[in-house]
Amino acid sequence: MKNKILNIKNLSKSYGAFKVTDEITIDLHFDEIHALIGPNGAGKSTLIKQIVGSVKHDIGSIILDQEDITDLTDVERAKIGISRTFQVSSIIPQFSAIDNIVLSLLDKSSKTFQLFKSIKNNKDLYSNAKKILKEIELSEKSDISASDLSHGDRRKLEVGLALAMDPKVFLFDEPMAGLDESGTKMMINLFKKIKTNSPILLIEHDMDAVFALADRVSVINYGKIVATGTVDEIRKNELVRDVYLGYEI
Amino acid sequence: MIIEKVFNKWILLFLFTIPVFGFVFEEPYYITLTTKVVILGIAGIGLNLALGYCGLISFGHAAFFGLGGYVTGILSFHALNSELMFSWPFVSSGSSDMLVIWPIVILSSAFLALIIGLLSLRTTGVYFIMITLAFAQMLYFFAISWPNYGGEDGLSIYMRNSLPIINTMDPLTFYFICLFWLLVVIFISAKLINSSFGMAFQAIKQNEERVKSVGIETFKVKLLVFVISGTITGLAGSLYTDLNRFISPSVLNWQMSGEIMIFVILGGIARLYGPIVGAAFFIVIEQTLGGYTENWQFWLGLILILEILYVRTGILSLFEKKFKYEK
Repeated sequence: MKNKILNIKNLSKSYGAFKVTDEITIDLHFDEIHALIGPNGAGKSTLIKQIVGSVKHDIGSIILDQEDITDLTDVERAKIGISRTFQVSSIIPQFSAIDNIVLSLLDKSSKTFQLFKSIKNNKDLYSNAKKILKEIELSEKSDISASDLSHGDRRKLEVGLALAMDPKVFLFDEPMAGLDESGTKMMINLFKKIKTNSPILLIEHDMDAVFALADRVSVINYGKIVATGTVDEIRKNELVRDVYLGYEI
Repeated sequence: MIIEKVFNKWILLFLFTIPVFGFVFEEPYYITLTTKVVILGIAGIGLNLALGYCGLISFGHAAFFGLGGYVTGILSFHALNSELMFSWPFVSSGSSDMLVIWPIVILSSAFLALIIGLLSLRTTGVYFIMITLAFAQMLYFFAISWPNYGGEDGLSIYMRNSLPIINTMDPLTFYFICLFWLLVVIFISAKLINSSFGMAFQAIKQNEERVKSVGIETFKVKLLVFVISGTITGLAGSLYTDLNRFISPSVLNWQMSGEIMIFVILGGIARLYGPIVGAAFFIVIEQTLGGYTENWQFWLGLILILEILYVRTGILSLFEKKFKYEK
């Protein structure tokens, strides 16, 4: 328990007779990237939604840094340190890239309810936002409206929004979907760097990226965790090969 | 091409000069019309904060407009008739002093907006529209059935409320009082829109789920916007009662909510000066077409349809450049 920052026990969610997540038990250690893989519709994104609190669980518990957060709202969970990206890019389309990042910095800096001071004059917020844009290699596009960014740049911006929150854990839902080779490389390097501060629960279909990054891998199928282990263990697991990886990897 | 900011300055110039022309050429009618534009513009700016900038489609802002109007009317009615209003917890016979009335209007409108907001903001979309509408209609039917203050016939106040030294009965003076409030409301709105709070509520309009995910309590943000919005609209209602020296339940009706919404849509949603242009356009149409036909609303509806189809973002969008979030 001591080295676990996030501990999920028996988390379940059903829609009628259909069990989307079925007594899922999974944890995330300090300093690690734990990848969650599985076929489409296996329940990966629903699990993320349950962890962030946007989908209510039926049973189970979620412990973050030894604090039971099971009954907290989505906003409360974000405030105490769960930061996420969405499977489909979710940004503020009419804001520039830098304003998106500044928005993400507001709560941490207790500036949300500052009513009359111009935000553009807040040099601290904007210089912090610039640092994050540099990390995700979007500095040159800082003033471009988010809706005008390419798909790949939007994925980077989403990761930037998560970074800005300086959370206890990151939940990344397919952050590399749609990225080109250099974008994926940049993300891999970035994730390796940030995991020492905040571990990452990573959902990803790009197996090269998963195998390059993950310290541990869990495989989910029909809402159940069918295997957990190191990359090598998962690669060799017959059941995992049957349900997801196939035999060419 | 003329940019919107320049156009906004022209709007202010017109607002300062037109009533002066009315005064010089002894046409007080034009002063009254422009006063109406300014007051309805204030109401529209109030709604625009909620609807235009935060995406809260309130169809019940008549509640705040009417409340502001009735608070003004009732306080004034008691003061002018030297009639006791209440005797507990203290004795009051109302007031006809604007400096007393305005804070009471502001506080009561804010309180009503807080109550309505706390209940209605738990819903979204069409449910939010219906709840806000229902609240306003409740107040409308209450006002109709309240004989103490005129019921359906409304309440007349024989003298405009007063200010120290200033003669508020003079149309031009009263106009500049209203213009002062318009400038205050524009100033406050501009400050809010460009603040970090403004960034949060404008983001909520575009993607509330994302805003929640970065730890911002969207319910509190929306509630505060709704309260500020309702308060501004309530203040407009107070000025409207003083302009007409009359208040009736019609200002609480859903048609009033619809009209305030039309000012916002006509002028341009999420454009600071949009509601002023919208209110001016509405009144010009009312006055010109109303002279030819009783069914002028039909033509207004047609104009509104054409505008939404072809100039979706309002008259001010013709002057392009957006006010918000520009370096």
